[in-house]
Amino acid sequence: MLDALRYEWTRLTTLRSTYWLVGIGLLAAALIPVILGFAAGDEELVPEIIAVAVNGGASFGIPFLAVFMAVIGIFATGHEYRHGTIQPTLTALPQRSRLILAKILVVSAATVAVTVVSMAVNTGVLMVFFGEVPGLFDDPVRSALLGYVVYTLIYMLVGLGLGLLFRGVPSALVVIFLMPLIIENVIVGLSVLPALDWLVPVVKFLPFTAGSLLMTVGSADMGMGLDYGFFDRWGSGAVFAVFAAAIIAAAWTLFKKRDA
Amino acid sequence: MITAKGLYKRYRNTVAVDQLSFDVRPGVVTGFLGPNGSGKSTTMRLMLGLDHGGGETRFDGERFTDIRRPMNKVGTLLEAKPFHPTRSARNHLRMLASANGVGDARIDEVMELVGLASVKRKKPKGYSLGMAQRLGLAQALLGDPGILLLDEPTNGLDPHGIHWMRDMLKHLAAEGRTIFVSSHLLSEMQLMADELVVIGRGTMIFNGDVDQFVREFTQSTVIVRSPAADGFAPALEGAGAEVAKGKDGELVVSGMEIGAVGHLAFTEGVELSELSTRSASLEEAFMSATGASEEFIAAEPTVPAVQTGGAPNA
Repeated sequence: MLDALRYEWTRLTTLRSTYWLVGIGLLAAALIPVILGFAAGDEELVPEIIAVAVNGGASFGIPFLAVFMAVIGIFATGHEYRHGTIQPTLTALPQRSRLILAKILVVSAATVAVTVVSMAVNTGVLMVFFGEVPGLFDDPVRSALLGYVVYTLIYMLVGLGLGLLFRGVPSALVVIFLMPLIIENVIVGLSVLPALDWLVPVVKFLPFTAGSLLMTVGSADMGMGLDYGFFDRWGSGAVFAVFAAAIIAAAWTLFKKRDA
Repeated sequence: MITAKGLYKRYRNTVAVDQLSFDVRPGVVTGFLGPNGSGKSTTMRLMLGLDHGGGETRFDGERFTDIRRPMNKVGTLLEAKPFHPTRSARNHLRMLASANGVGDARIDEVMELVGLASVKRKKPKGYSLGMAQRLGLAQALLGDPGILLLDEPTNGLDPHGIHWMRDMLKHLAAEGRTIFVSSHLLSEMQLMADELVVIGRGTMIFNGDVDQFVREFTQSTVIVRSPAADGFAPALEGAGAEVAKGKDGELVVSGMEIGAVGHLAFTEGVELSELSTRSASLEEAFMSATGASEEFIAAEPTVPAVQTGGAPNA
């Protein structure tokens, strides 16, 4: 297993795209507290604002870092097929399950590390503008930020699974952007219509919508005035995690059965 | 030593590889021949567990997927350019080496060996096909393996490169390694290979040494030049030989050994200016052996119709 981990670490760190995706992700996430600092530098920081600033806008519906890490996840498997490197990879490391496990572990560790660095950078920006960040290590901010780390991790795993499932990059990218930004938003929007109120109980099972509740600080009615009966933070996180696990399980099973 | 038994692969209604069994011995270069679409690449992928199918291949007694750090035992070159375009050639090898406990010094050594030392930090997207093949060979040699599986390694190489590859593979075989190499360059294979595995439409046509293959699938002929060739031909035919006239007026005799032809000329009092044997080439043997198993048959070129009128040379 150590050989597989070494392989995946070398693969990840010898790709130029890893660095620019991480760099852009960190920068985009850091822009949120910068904008906040300029716009509201003289106001008092409340938990909701602290959470949004430290998670780089993720709980506000713009999860920059999570998306960029998901692209790294897609590249972890999709690039192997896109550039034909799956053949040398499997002749260097023919134990397929070991290879996938190594990819999941290494990219997950990188994702958690980058997310923590991003939170530290964003906190630093807040300190510059506001002088202090009160209640950072107390609930509800603490749980919301822990939830952000888990959210980014699961988001990346969905990307990794999709890359392996589709054996390429473009289809996985389409799904990872289309599903949270369009499909789920359309379903949530339609659920407001009385004729489609049967969609209301479905909303809490929409994976990306449920996943975003990992980062919630206050209530989670999505501003629609409807009671969607959402699970609590970790229950909603479990919905997102089950979605990621289902994709990875399907992709893993097919990867073992398919020709390389 | 490679031992393949009952290799089988089906794609929907097409059987690509049909119960292939063969051995590849160490110390010699074994060529793997077959027409386009005959299943050579699929066979190699089956052997390495890249494709799923029937049968089993053992490399010195072990299945490929069971070997820990396989690059140290089996080196492979399958596709022409399986590299990420923005990862340097050296980093590509570093990545594979890291899965097999191979050190950085060995990476530099194989890059030197294949003649890419000066461009090892360049990205392979700028490599020519020949350079990519050299990088592929460097990848195969990375773990200093005792067995090499190479699919069309001379593709894209210039004549110097082909010569270099031939010498390299013969040298590696002479060191006692097992070399299994597919190629469609038959003249090259004739110079390089000691043994052959020949397939057509996924089935075994021949497995043995090159000379035996040529003997089995072609007929040697005897060339006779004589001022009295026209008079000697009926005598040869009368003795049971088949005689054809060559383009320079020589007699091409088949079905009779050279000694018998010489003896007949002596007894008939025919003066000879040449009496020699012409052996068939590997290419002729290959065409004879695989003619019926070509998957894709192109139309014969036709002579263009004579133009009438106009100004054809204008």
